[in-house]
Amino acid sequence: MDKKTEDLIIESVIRQLMETQAQSAENNFRAGPESNSRDSGSSSEPNTLEPMDVIGVENPHNLEALKVMRKTSPARIFMGRCGARQKTASYLNYMADHAAAIDAVLMDVSEQFIADNDLFKVKTVVKDKDEYLMRPDLGRKLSQESKDEILQKGEKGKQVQIIVVDGLSSTSIEANVADAMPALIQGLGTYGITVGRPFFIKYGRVAIMDEVAPLLDCDVVVEFIGERPGLITAESMSAYMAYRPDHNTNESNRTVVSNIHRNGTPPTEAGAHLATLVKKMIDNKASGIKLAALP
Amino acid sequence: MATQSPQILQSVGIDIGTSTTQLVFSRLTLKNIAPGSLVPRFAITDKDVYYKSEIHTTPIDTRNRLDIDKIFDLIQAEFDGAGISPNDVDTGAVIITGETARKENARSISARVAKFSGKFVVATAGGKLEAIIAGKGSGAADLSRREFSIVANADIGGGTSNIGVFKNGKAIDSCCVNVGGRMLQIDKASSRITDISEPMRLVLSDLNLELRKGDRISLDVLRRICQRMSAVILECLGMIDPSALATQLLVTAPLRLNYKTDSFMMSGGVADHVYSPRPNMTLEEATQYNDMGPLLGNELANLCRTEKIPLVKPLETIRATVIGAGAQTVDVSGSTILVDEKLLPFKDIPVAIPFVDGIPMDEATIARQVAQSITSFYESDALEKIAIGLLGEQHFSFTDIQVLARGLLKGLEPLVRKTLPLIIVLESDVGKVLGQTMRALDSQLNIVCLDQLVVAEGDYIDIGKPLAGGTVVPVVIKSLVFETKQVE
Repeated sequence: MDKKTEDLIIESVIRQLMETQAQSAENNFRAGPESNSRDSGSSSEPNTLEPMDVIGVENPHNLEALKVMRKTSPARIFMGRCGARQKTASYLNYMADHAAAIDAVLMDVSEQFIADNDLFKVKTVVKDKDEYLMRPDLGRKLSQESKDEILQKGEKGKQVQIIVVDGLSSTSIEANVADAMPALIQGLGTYGITVGRPFFIKYGRVAIMDEVAPLLDCDVVVEFIGERPGLITAESMSAYMAYRPDHNTNESNRTVVSNIHRNGTPPTEAGAHLATLVKKMIDNKASGIKLAALP
Repeated sequence: MATQSPQILQSVGIDIGTSTTQLVFSRLTLKNIAPGSLVPRFAITDKDVYYKSEIHTTPIDTRNRLDIDKIFDLIQAEFDGAGISPNDVDTGAVIITGETARKENARSISARVAKFSGKFVVATAGGKLEAIIAGKGSGAADLSRREFSIVANADIGGGTSNIGVFKNGKAIDSCCVNVGGRMLQIDKASSRITDISEPMRLVLSDLNLELRKGDRISLDVLRRICQRMSAVILECLGMIDPSALATQLLVTAPLRLNYKTDSFMMSGGVADHVYSPRPNMTLEEATQYNDMGPLLGNELANLCRTEKIPLVKPLETIRATVIGAGAQTVDVSGSTILVDEKLLPFKDIPVAIPFVDGIPMDEATIARQVAQSITSFYESDALEKIAIGLLGEQHFSFTDIQVLARGLLKGLEPLVRKTLPLIIVLESDVGKVLGQTMRALDSQLNIVCLDQLVVAEGDYIDIGKPLAGGTVVPVVIKSLVFETKQVE
């Protein structure tokens, strides 16, 4: 075989290989169904990923058993493999979920959301996202303008103040608050508990409630805050609550209900449950471990 | 809350069968199994059977019916023996099994037993629940969960065999057939027949045998009868093609058998002899209990061997039903619910299912379908308590919940007018928010709104008083779905 023929063969083999690769990559993207059962981090997420709730193991000994076990955990199990490595679809899902998590942290809660939910917006002393991530202490202090605005637009002396805080996932705030907050307000209403006008705090940490309560002289603060996103979901929200929090409050005084999202505790049901918890706090003038220790 | 200590429920199981009556006491542990920061989730985490009664012969009166007074003396003696007062009992079940003839007075017995023992005791004389309870007590349900397989359990008693089929721990099918070890009673001293039950006459005519009370029976004839009855059990289990006799003996509809059973278990009094058959059994051994139980077990074991049926040993044989009744009947609802405690307990509430394919998110449609589903149950002037079952795991926005609440209130207007309670049983975890939303619409309503429960059309539901500081209620769902020929 001369050099020229050899080159030709190599060239054609490489071309073929590249074509097949491109094709299979395309197929991988096309394979997924239109409706994706996973959380959508944002509307711009490609909807052509393969669903993750399928059994990827080839020729399983007991498929029924795998299906039952698959339902017990949202973790990446029974994804199948190719040799010693994960399949392309698993990897793409991983990359997409990672991207959604990063988006959840870095994006801002939209003005539209704040308007739709009848909130007004205030801010901590944090300047931008970078400072927010690097200086947790600053996320616990309200700026002077914000304090003034809260006193002006908020309501003093109500029993409960609801605050919405971006925390580490703006995505989760946009996904859950519209369902959880009205359920909570309705529940508190059936108990005859008064609620001040809710507002949104940008660049906030959990302990920001310690500044809010003394300012508005309320009994209980319910703080909806975005949880640090993971690869299972970027939409998980927590509700932190405390009875008369102030600068002496420590973490054991806070009660938390976490994992509020559509595949965890449904946001509407969480809101109804929070109403009962808040009533218990007001009745017993306690929160955190003191409340948990009550019979 | 999260740190709440577990609650112990005192449970009683009473099984009044054709041949034997038994009783067990157990302690059920109710515990929050969710991690601290999550919404609580209560479950029964431990079942400790700590007292098992003697196996008593069921008292029968001269007319061959259950002797209620003697049965109560016996139950009282066992309560005394265990040192337990009926007031201490939180939950449990009374199961009255056996052939129809002896069930004539079963109803009066259930009422009396329920009054006798505790706050939330279920009484039943129906085939399906018994079959499921026996399969839970024998360990068949657990085996199917552990091995992710389909397990059938046949509980063979004196007058009936209850068959329950389980997949991944859940009952998927059941039937009840008149095959039992005491359908022919024989005096062991004289080998003379002392009693022939009605279903036994069908077996005899199938075999062209003419036997009368007082006849002396031979081992050969007894063996032929037992072989035929063993075949009927395997026919009902779908292991042999069904015969006309099997159809005649079935008390309920047969198993659907649209699945493949992986393994089989036998429980009940006869089962001991299935798992330890005796070769060359004599007539004296066969009739040692004045019936044919041991020989039926022996012949069933032989037939299973010939038919190569994969038999698995149960945890309990003769006690399977009573242990199931004492430790496995009660379930708990989801932990975020809304109940008016003063209304509870409820017993035998029929369930209506208004929506088959998910809930339409339109107030008028919801109202219309809900109204329809309840009118099919009662004439409007004779309205009674009824539960609305809402199936499916669905995501509801707050707006959806409001639409649903308004639709339900409109559809259930006849109940509201008669100040009957609104009983809603949801599969999705939104019981509390739906209850609160209905209450916000009308603060005078009596509401019991439960979630994380699956019910079906034709079920009956019992709901007990709240446990664990009001967070959950105990429930028993009595499914009658598969019972089309049930006689009571």
